[in-house]
Amino acid sequence: MTDIHTAVVDIAHAPLDVAGALDFVSDPRFGGVATFIGRVRQHNLGRVVTGVSYDLFEPLALRTFQAIGERARQEVGGPMKLYIAHAKGHLRIGDLAVVIAAATPHRDEAFRTCRLAIEAVKHEAPIWKQEHYVDGDSAWSEGCSLCEEHRDAELAAAKQGGNKHGHGH
Amino acid sequence: MMLRITLFGALRDADARGFIELDVPDHSTIAQVREAVQRYVREHALTISPNLIQRSAFASDEEVLHNHRQIPENGMLAILPPVSGG
Repeated sequence: MTDIHTAVVDIAHAPLDVAGALDFVSDPRFGGVATFIGRVRQHNLGRVVTGVSYDLFEPLALRTFQAIGERARQEVGGPMKLYIAHAKGHLRIGDLAVVIAAATPHRDEAFRTCRLAIEAVKHEAPIWKQEHYVDGDSAWSEGCSLCEEHRDAELAAAKQGGNKHGHGH
Repeated sequence: MMLRITLFGALRDADARGFIELDVPDHSTIAQVREAVQRYVREHALTISPNLIQRSAFASDEEVLHNHRQIPENGMLAILPPVSGG
């Protein structure tokens, strides 16, 4: 199918391409375009961040992105185009970490598709973020378990707590 | 059979090569591999928390493999700690 584009981009070779994302989803059938751009921020949990490194299991990440796109298509139940790209390697403050663009006939489906895609990328794709701090320390971010027993327990705990996601990210 | 398990994220600290190799019985399940990895880190990678192994998933290049699944015939697995993309 040509309505879903997925990519892992090695930041050492090129930055993520927002204009390319918008070009990909542009279509005369679609009047609504929603985008999400994730950038590296300077602070996290009270610590000054100087950069992050992303580690990916690339073949499975690309398959996961494609599966997310197919799930989004089923949710929308009509025509759509979706672009999902994530960076790998070492990123500086302000660098683009993830770009999502969704286009549909109207704005509601575009917003919903974009939201579904970014939440699924964050919670399901085999990607790991290591933060580097101004004091020279580094730490891997707390994440979401893909192990079914822990995933079920985390979702149940999140529901009990009244928090839809139950995560700090 | 000899199983090669590729490491990601915080689990890379378990071996600087980026993978570990374990000798496991043919047709082992993922649950059995998880126990073998727990033993491995207790003996060789004390900085890795056993809880992190419990919260990690196993996968082939194609899919996440849950505890009841058997190891792939090619002997290649990845261990995926909790994910934090985006």
